[in-house]
Amino acid sequence: MIRLRDVGFRYDAAGTSAPVALRQISFEVPQGGFRWLLGPSGAGKSSLLRLLALTARPTSGTLEILGSSVAQARRAALARLRRRIGVVHQDFRLLPDLPVFDNIALPLRLQHRPEDDVRDEVHSILDWVGLGSRATARPPQLSGGEQQRVAIARAVIHRPALLLADEPTNALDEYQANRLMDLFRDLSGLGTTILVATHNDALIRRYPAHELELAQGRLLRDG
Amino acid sequence: MAERPGLLTRWNQARRADGLALRRALPDRLLPLLVAAMAVLAALALAGATGAQILSTRWSNGAASMLTIQVPDPETPTTTAGTTTHLTRSDAVLAALADSPGASRVHRLDKAELGALLAPWLGQDHDFALTLPAIIELHMAAGTQTDATALARRLAAIAPGTLVERNAEWGERLGRLADSLHSCALLAVAIVAGIAVVLIAATTRAGLAARRLPIELIHAMGATDGYIAGRFARRTALLAFIGGLAGSVLALPILVLLSRVAAPFAAAAPAPAPAADWTMPAHMLLATLPTPLAATLLALAPAAALIGWLTTQATVRAWLRNLP
Repeated sequence: MIRLRDVGFRYDAAGTSAPVALRQISFEVPQGGFRWLLGPSGAGKSSLLRLLALTARPTSGTLEILGSSVAQARRAALARLRRRIGVVHQDFRLLPDLPVFDNIALPLRLQHRPEDDVRDEVHSILDWVGLGSRATARPPQLSGGEQQRVAIARAVIHRPALLLADEPTNALDEYQANRLMDLFRDLSGLGTTILVATHNDALIRRYPAHELELAQGRLLRDG
Repeated sequence: MAERPGLLTRWNQARRADGLALRRALPDRLLPLLVAAMAVLAALALAGATGAQILSTRWSNGAASMLTIQVPDPETPTTTAGTTTHLTRSDAVLAALADSPGASRVHRLDKAELGALLAPWLGQDHDFALTLPAIIELHMAAGTQTDATALARRLAAIAPGTLVERNAEWGERLGRLADSLHSCALLAVAIVAGIAVVLIAATTRAGLAARRLPIELIHAMGATDGYIAGRFARRTALLAFIGGLAGSVLALPILVLLSRVAAPFAAAAPAPAPAADWTMPAHMLLATLPTPLAATLLALAPAAALIGWLTTQATVRAWLRNLP
């Protein structure tokens, strides 16, 4: 589960010149819970996802991820926590030098999984996202939709305990978007906690779920 | 949770694609070249340190423990209380020296040895018209303190005009000089090592900047500081080892030449080396060097690798502290 208590975040933590990105955010998501993260651009959705992905630290308040308090965790413990988190970035963040196969295999290799397992798992998920024939292609050779599917495959291949997705369907057609949401629903049923930031109202209507709405860095709605 | 694999498996996994692309982050040309140049400098400085150490030992323990006694009119009989005795002045001095406390060897130079000593001034002809004084070497046992002034007084009483030259004074001065040279050489080695640290740290930081995106990405996926630092450190250590090895090979002929030039000054040094032949393979050339110098030369590449590994570990870990 994840738990936030009065969490605040400012990008320039040392100074006071940067605008406050998040103010007094408090909510909880139980294990296996699914939340839509809503709000206009600049509302603080990406900042909140950064905090939850442990790639930034709150400047105030307390944050618990998967049962661990972030403020008190040592660096090695944070690294272990990050291995249990999957993230689909809005800009995909694929490594252009690596083939699709190696991009997707990264989380498994960082867990020191045997290479035979890595091969089986990556080929399996490549088939699921419809990119079985593009394993040796490099990200710049792929379309935007294909890159997004690679990013999704990389985020879920290690069956994370917490899955964070920032606009994961914006480059997908309706069929692919629905398949992705079905996958998220299945993962949630298996115990993965999921937060999805989106502007896609049609998708939200098709897959109604608990919503967290942000505006100007504040949590407006939790329900 | 997956079972932790063995060391070899982890090493092989580390070599697999993880996006760090270290061959591009730390190219295999510049760093080995610079390390090789520094290894040559370090080898020369170490040669200076080793040579100075050998000379210091030689001068402090060899010549320094010897006194030279000069007895004029050596064949003239001595007189005691106005009475002429049957002993010559040189024999009387030799007898007195034999009883000196701490004397390990008393040796009077023979005519041939005197001739060799004077050859630079008087040529190879050993039939001298002048009567030469007797030259006696008094070797003292190691650690023995000799009062040269008291000895000179005692010998002058037996054979007036006898001179005692205390070699130790010169030996100590030369020893101090050699010690100073030794310290300077070690300082030079330390400076070269310091420059190597700065250079490797700068190269590593450039590599980190070049691969910032993949580092941030795998850090966000759970790669530990130790994993990322270890990947960079292994690469740097390998490049530094190659550079150190190349530098050692380049320095070898220079050191052989220097040790040849220095050989006469360190004749009493331990482990006399066989003469070098430039057609010899490198390992045989190495065997012609004094053992301490050969050992330090062999240690250069591993030392460069160790410096590279430690510096990179520290640099990468410090850089990663900027990430949450």
